[in-house]
Amino acid sequence: MKPGERVLRYVLLLLVLVISIGPFLWQLSTSLKSMREDIYTLTPRFIPEHPTFENYVKVAETIPVWAYAGNSLVVAVIVVGGNAIGATLAGFALARLRFRGGKLLLGAFLATLVLPGEVTIISQYVTIRSLGLADTLLGVALPGAIGMLNVLLMRTAFAAIPREMDEAAIVDGANAWQRLVRIGLPNVRGMLSVIVIFAFIGAWDDFLWPLIVLNDPDKFTLTVGLQYLNGTFSANPRLIAAGTMIAFIPIVIVFAVLQRFFFRGVEEGAIKG
Amino acid sequence: MTAGHGTLGRARGDAGSGRHVRPEPVPRPGRKPVANQRWFTPWLLVAPAAIWLAVFNVWPSINTVVLAFTNAKPIGGGHFTGPANFRRALNDDQLADALLNSVVFMLVCLPLLTFLPLLLAVLVEKRLPGITFFRTAFYTPVIASAVVVAVIWGWLLNEQGMINGIARQLKIIQEPLPFLTDRWLLLFSAISLTVWKGLGYYMIIYLSALGNVRRELHEAAAVDGAGPVRRFFAITVPGVRNTMLLISVLISVSALRTFTELYVLSKGTGGPGGRDMSVVMLIQMYSRGFTGHLGYASALSILLFVLTIGPMLLLLRLNRKEA
Amino acid sequence: MRRYWAVLALAALAIAGCGLSSETPRQESAPAASGPAKGKVTLQTWALKPKFTDYVQGVIDAFEKQNPGVEVEWLDQPGDGYSEKVLSQAAGGTLPDVVNLPPDFALPLARQGLLLDVEKADPKLADEYVTGGIDAYRFAGLTGVFGYPWYLNTDVNYWNSELLAKYGLDPGKPPADLDELIEQARILKDKSGGKVYLMSRKPGLGDFADVGAKILADDGKSFVFNTPEAAALLDKYRAAYKEGLLPKDVLTDAYAGNAKLFAEGRVAWTTGGANYIDSLKTDNPTLAPKVVPSAAMGTPPLYVQGVSVSAKSRSPQAAIALARFLTNAENQAAFAHLTSIFPSTKASAGDPFFSKSDGTNAGDAKVIAFTSLAKAKMLQPVQFNDAMRKVMEQQIALAVAGETSAKEALDTAVTKLNELLNQ
Repeated sequence: MKPGERVLRYVLLLLVLVISIGPFLWQLSTSLKSMREDIYTLTPRFIPEHPTFENYVKVAETIPVWAYAGNSLVVAVIVVGGNAIGATLAGFALARLRFRGGKLLLGAFLATLVLPGEVTIISQYVTIRSLGLADTLLGVALPGAIGMLNVLLMRTAFAAIPREMDEAAIVDGANAWQRLVRIGLPNVRGMLSVIVIFAFIGAWDDFLWPLIVLNDPDKFTLTVGLQYLNGTFSANPRLIAAGTMIAFIPIVIVFAVLQRFFFRGVEEGAIKG
Repeated sequence: MTAGHGTLGRARGDAGSGRHVRPEPVPRPGRKPVANQRWFTPWLLVAPAAIWLAVFNVWPSINTVVLAFTNAKPIGGGHFTGPANFRRALNDDQLADALLNSVVFMLVCLPLLTFLPLLLAVLVEKRLPGITFFRTAFYTPVIASAVVVAVIWGWLLNEQGMINGIARQLKIIQEPLPFLTDRWLLLFSAISLTVWKGLGYYMIIYLSALGNVRRELHEAAAVDGAGPVRRFFAITVPGVRNTMLLISVLISVSALRTFTELYVLSKGTGGPGGRDMSVVMLIQMYSRGFTGHLGYASALSILLFVLTIGPMLLLLRLNRKEA
Repeated sequence: MRRYWAVLALAALAIAGCGLSSETPRQESAPAASGPAKGKVTLQTWALKPKFTDYVQGVIDAFEKQNPGVEVEWLDQPGDGYSEKVLSQAAGGTLPDVVNLPPDFALPLARQGLLLDVEKADPKLADEYVTGGIDAYRFAGLTGVFGYPWYLNTDVNYWNSELLAKYGLDPGKPPADLDELIEQARILKDKSGGKVYLMSRKPGLGDFADVGAKILADDGKSFVFNTPEAAALLDKYRAAYKEGLLPKDVLTDAYAGNAKLFAEGRVAWTTGGANYIDSLKTDNPTLAPKVVPSAAMGTPPLYVQGVSVSAKSRSPQAAIALARFLTNAENQAAFAHLTSIFPSTKASAGDPFFSKSDGTNAGDAKVIAFTSLAKAKMLQPVQFNDAMRKVMEQQIALAVAGETSAKEALDTAVTKLNELLNQ
């Protein structure tokens, strides 16, 4: 890369950074502000005058952060696993296999994008109750365990694999399962990591659904449990910000780890396949 | 095989374009090979997703349809009222405003969010020192909480906010612009917020698709003397065509269903006279609380469903062409 | 955004008839309040953990000691999403035995026969609780009282004394009515060069009630506040807005918007509960000491919290006993000593704790609020729901902005509100 291009790229990167990072920075700085410092001001103050980690300590003292995070993790693992498997299988079949009713099914998946989402929770609650899963983490995880959007994203990724690779495998006598494993999967790792991120964040950040399903405070997920920081007559924006930052860390880790897989595309797969 | 200018119009990565330009000298003469596949294999693979579709998506929607013909409230049943809710919707001037807002939203968001995230994806695609940090940072607006977003955008846009402050210092304007209270300015502020949030979201979808655009094509084009702009339009864009299609549908659907952005910036009020409401805000307003009007809210959701199906059908058509 | 769907979703439960029992309203006869209370009861509070964990647990322990046969399970629900949670409990038939419900939550539940009439079970109610508290749980069209009043609060005016003094106003003599407010707002605007405002909110139902407009017809079936008095008030605000005496952003400010403007130092006046200075000490510690409280202009609003008893409780006697115990004079007084709220029991009226300030501005605010409570009224009818509030704000904003006449805005608001009321 020419030095000029490199500089230009960094200038652009920094420009977008300034635009994107505001809310995150404000949250971080709020979580580090001491009790002597004002939160709401005419112009934002991003740098704490007396930075302190006290708020984080207080959050950990106030609520069982680890236990709640553990519950969230259980939900997230189920949701991520369900999506990784369910959406991959369905996406592969819809993109690479011809079968009667396939188009119709694809249409049905697409239509769910525009289905009145406002109703979905109804049957979810009824269904979960009738399955005997009210007040369980499995009940929280189940409805999101296969997202229709993720099926469509996986289908798009599988469809992007050149048909010739498939045809070569077919000539070699590979069955559908072998083609999925040998040709499909290596080529869709990018999209797979994207849906893992979507599924993880969706499960991790959800608030109302776990609130409705769960009753037992010991089973609360982190987002629900963090609400204890927002009590009547006792809300402290610093603690809320610190709590939000804590909830934010796993998301950042998952994202940072998975983003390197975004680029494993056709070429690498072609070599392996 | 080297790609000349003539074939640059289509990249190979996408199955959608494979028909137009056969890549690699693989093409086998004669018929397509027949897959070794039992009839039930595809059904086995889609079964879990299909069950979820039926149980958690289709089944609940039936409830909405039932509700739409009643005067139901959140607790206690309702009575069948026939098409009364739909008749009421036809005369609802707020619904007309909301629909207009949604259309404006879609028209502005669609081009911006189809292309800007792709440019951003191209920018962060190259491995440079610190690129992981930038990629992660660009994604943070997607996960920022609505409360925090409201605080930050309030500082930017309020009467004494940063944008008005700077514009007044530079003498561009005399009086502060009412970004948060004027019917159209508020709408465009919400659109900016949507684009800002959408950048990171669609960026990562594009990133995974960019992996499928072959590097040789870029190299060949560079050898042929094509500049970065030309290569972007001639190779990158066609290379992610399918993804772009899906993304533009997602954008249209979410523009028609916009809620959070207008809600946050108007602090839930929907602006003076409620002219800055979206259809979903109306649905929420009528359904929320203990005494909400579920029947009417359901009727509005069905109307919205019918409206959003348009872009959907368009995608299906394009899909058919591709297959 | 997902959260809002829950309401719709849960609501449909009742109609879809999925085997849930909430469909049939029933009016249970109250059990006789005699004999020892027994059984297991659940108590649901709203966002009191962790600050008041010790207090509530203490009350529960004392209750269990007094009633050896009763076991209490305490659930504290998060602050956000409480209406959705209660709604899901009501629709799913799992309403806790004793549950903290503000009057506007209690009304629809009472209409469906889900709450006990505590007056029937407890005839001495009126002797112990203040009338305003009890009346908050009496609903037009229903006979009975559907909750024990718990803690009360009202609004107090808060002034930023630093800003007032800096721009030529006397913090010791804050405006006492709208005309004075407008007059002083003008001075503040001129002296600060338009940087600081005094007025910070749009008028609302309470302001209309204050100028003598009747809000709801006596039968509770229609809104009637589109009177010339209300229009005249709205016109005053419109003129003030046009003159630049209010920040433009108030047009879309919702509840507590003025408190945020106040915290940011953009306006020098806000209204808030008796505990406002305490929360300001947390949010903006440097501003808190500069705040001076004064009594609300006009009729102070009355805010009531209460605890209701589920009609489906398996141990109604124990539930009633617990609700009563939680809200008795002694326990309420202890609660009110922990934060700036006020007991709804008559016995606390003479408590010097509430009528004597400790000399701090927060203490002054508490005394002002306590004094105001005597004439405080519920200014918004319990039937006034979220959708109505929204329609109301939208129309008032239009009128204040000068885009429609006051009369037109009020007429439209009344028409739309009545439509919503009678759906």
